[in-house]
Amino acid sequence: MGGTQPGADGMKPGGWLWAAALGAYAFLYVPLAVVVLFSFNDSALNAEWVGFTLNWYDKLLHDQEMLGAASNSLLIAVIASTIATLLGTMAGLAMHRYRLRFMPFLVLTPVAMPEILLGVSLLLFFRQVLDLTLGMFSILIAHITFSIGFVAIIVRARLAGMDESIFEAARDLGASPWQTFRRITLPLILPSIVAGFLMSFTLSIDDFVITFFVAGVGVTTLPLQIYSMIKVAVTPEVNAVSTLLMLVTLSLIVLAARFAPDVLKGET
Amino acid sequence: MKRLYAAILLLLSAQALAEDTLYVYNWNNYISAETLQRFEAHCSCRVKQDYYSDNEEMLAKLDAGAAGYDILVPTGNAVEALIRRGALRPLDKALLPNLRNLKPEFMNAWYDPGNRYSVPYAYSITLLGYNVEKLRELGLPTDTWALIFEPRYLAKLKGKVTVLNSQRELMAAALRYLGYGVQEKDPAKWNEAKNLIVRAKPYWASFSNSTYIKDLAIGNIWVAHGYSNDMYRAQQDAATAGRPFSIGFATPREGAVLAVDNFVLHKSGKRPDLAHQFIDFMLTGANAADISNLIGAGNPNGAATARIRPEIAANPAIFPPPQDMPRLEMLRDFDVQSRRILSRLWTEIKVR
Amino acid sequence: MNKPDLEARLARLTRWLVSLPPTLFLVVFFVAPSLIVVLASFRHPGEFGGLAPLLPWFGVDSGLTLETYRFFFSDFVYLEIFLKSFGVAALTTLLCIVIAYPLAWLIARSPSSRRDLLVLLVILPFASNFLIRIYAWILLLGPFNLLYTSFAVIAGMVYVHLPFMVLPLYTNLEKHDPALLEAAQDLGANAWTRFWRITFPLSLPGIFSGSVLVFIPVLGMFAIPELLGGTGDILIGNLIKEQFLDNRDWPLGAMLSIMLTLAVLALAGFSAWAGRSRGRTA
Repeated sequence: MGGTQPGADGMKPGGWLWAAALGAYAFLYVPLAVVVLFSFNDSALNAEWVGFTLNWYDKLLHDQEMLGAASNSLLIAVIASTIATLLGTMAGLAMHRYRLRFMPFLVLTPVAMPEILLGVSLLLFFRQVLDLTLGMFSILIAHITFSIGFVAIIVRARLAGMDESIFEAARDLGASPWQTFRRITLPLILPSIVAGFLMSFTLSIDDFVITFFVAGVGVTTLPLQIYSMIKVAVTPEVNAVSTLLMLVTLSLIVLAARFAPDVLKGET
Repeated sequence: MKRLYAAILLLLSAQALAEDTLYVYNWNNYISAETLQRFEAHCSCRVKQDYYSDNEEMLAKLDAGAAGYDILVPTGNAVEALIRRGALRPLDKALLPNLRNLKPEFMNAWYDPGNRYSVPYAYSITLLGYNVEKLRELGLPTDTWALIFEPRYLAKLKGKVTVLNSQRELMAAALRYLGYGVQEKDPAKWNEAKNLIVRAKPYWASFSNSTYIKDLAIGNIWVAHGYSNDMYRAQQDAATAGRPFSIGFATPREGAVLAVDNFVLHKSGKRPDLAHQFIDFMLTGANAADISNLIGAGNPNGAATARIRPEIAANPAIFPPPQDMPRLEMLRDFDVQSRRILSRLWTEIKVR
Repeated sequence: MNKPDLEARLARLTRWLVSLPPTLFLVVFFVAPSLIVVLASFRHPGEFGGLAPLLPWFGVDSGLTLETYRFFFSDFVYLEIFLKSFGVAALTTLLCIVIAYPLAWLIARSPSSRRDLLVLLVILPFASNFLIRIYAWILLLGPFNLLYTSFAVIAGMVYVHLPFMVLPLYTNLEKHDPALLEAAQDLGANAWTRFWRITFPLSLPGIFSGSVLVFIPVLGMFAIPELLGGTGDILIGNLIKEQFLDNRDWPLGAMLSIMLTLAVLALAGFSAWAGRSRGRTA
């Protein structure tokens, strides 16, 4: 089946293809490698390698502002993801089961729109209509709003992939809708619920644009703190916090991939 | 989950109430750490500062509903805006005996007649800072805005000049250079100023609000449009680093912007008593002198004069002599329509 | 009451219980705010920033007006910035396609055991915070004096959005039947012809999805031009941010947001239509 000469056919990747692909991988990784590498650099300027040190990590762990921002981010992520997962699962079920015409539009548009639009509309809404002081509550609402769609997509994808006959069989055997849900549906979609939670968590921890508009004063999240550090004075402390943050979100994404491998391929 | 959250909230708020804390919203580097420590000892309280880098940012954050600051440090035009919105708490003069230390020419300003809400703290002039040796070598004048606007001078300075990234400030400089006032609203004159700026822009290295301090001090930049206290700092930095050049700064003869920053009480602050204490403390000669000695800021406090280092007190770019005063103007906010047109003009300047 | 009736009622109740909470939440916190934005674009700017009151008030403009729209269209500079943003988005999308294609093809053609790993390797950089990815470019470009240039902005845009192009493209390429290419080869077509006349056309839906996933977010970006670009590198996102957080001209900011929304909706509509018509002919 087909030739095995590299480059001679369209099936086995030829040499130039490997080179181009590797180049793309390098393009993806080199910048981040530089960030991680220089977090261990014994120099305040990110200019050249001087020596190995863990100083910046030490500085980081004693930086009150940074720790405050980190704990805020964590708290917000936990609460927002929990609520978003709950609402998003319901939305996914509703979209799949009930096929309401407006649901996909309502749920998916916040996901598709540029983030700045969501941030701006929430800023206006909170200030003009609710006269709410921006802070923890406004950030939570914002994060829940954009996460619902992601959870819904993941849950719906899973439901769509399920064999309908199982539900028919349950009904024939006399199971009530609640029983069907609790003992068949829920266990089957549980992996995607977990994946949805993890995705929301990651999105919440990483969110910058929307949080930027609705945060107000007094509550900082990690991305906002990093942003002001980048703007004011860049020290390798930024590299250190970036490295740590990367590790955290990395583990979360790997975990999420375990639970819902199909969804991460970008199919909606 | 909710109970956990409530418990955490309770813990955090309890922590906040445990100490007497004064919340101050201030410019970066505008009160020295020592002064703050002395106040904390004096009042047995804590001071917590948040920072902004310009009035607009502060006003925008307040618009966003930021609350809980006892003291703000706005410039005159921002004081006016805050008073007109009813955002400030009136001062209780009985608690401020040291008010008499202030020089009369800084009291009763146009933005707060009778000083019902504000107490002047420090002032600065927006002017040109420069590398003394370099400019002497190039034979360039140091006392005129032409230095940053005229191609015949700029040609020798290409890529070595920065200007402020501020609509009002840069336009003010251009308008003064053209012989107009900084409050000029005539669109034709604005266009003239815009063309002047756009003509000079290719020679400028960048628009910068704060990085110019470092760039001047290490010699990357030879001329910077900026604030007098920032220039003072650059001057000190260059001297302590032992650079082969020195930094000078001077008010251009065509005129410049004077900015007076004031302490005000925001009405959402929880401790007006501490706030009054703080202001009175800062009004004593010794404490008021700190801001001049440490950052080279102009000082409206008469009792401080004796304690200010002579080289600072004698610097006409920090303490302008009376004959310079007519050429110094303060910025006043424009009406809504003019602000819009100006901001669009600024966008054009950036994009061209 | 008999069982089927009860069941039917229960089913309806469940339907409400399940659909209502998310719907309500999104109507309140997504639909309502969006409508507020539309309303805000027709209001006067407040005297000190923000919005002027809707109802008549002393001495200030109130109520609704088309002034902001007139202001936007009366000078070319804003339209210029919109066009520029579209240009940046288009260029970014193009570059993403060029860089992503070999990568996606490699992954698609790899043995399935390795494919998941390769996909994960593409997603991993995406795991880092978006600001960190920008910061990485600040570090890289600084020494080469390329920071604060348009080049830096494009590099940042491409870097941040590349995974969005790789994944849909790979998903599409994976589905191509190798038998087609075999047949073409047997008929004498060379590698280039096989790519251009078989693979590429079949991959167009993937390119399309990826393009939409790149183009739309790029239109709204402000952090990348702000941190990597020079003072002239302003895009729509920067203008919008400026109105809300610097100038406090909320009606103008709202109006710009609406313009952006319309642009995005138009693009989404176009891509949906194009996707459907392609589906018909495929």
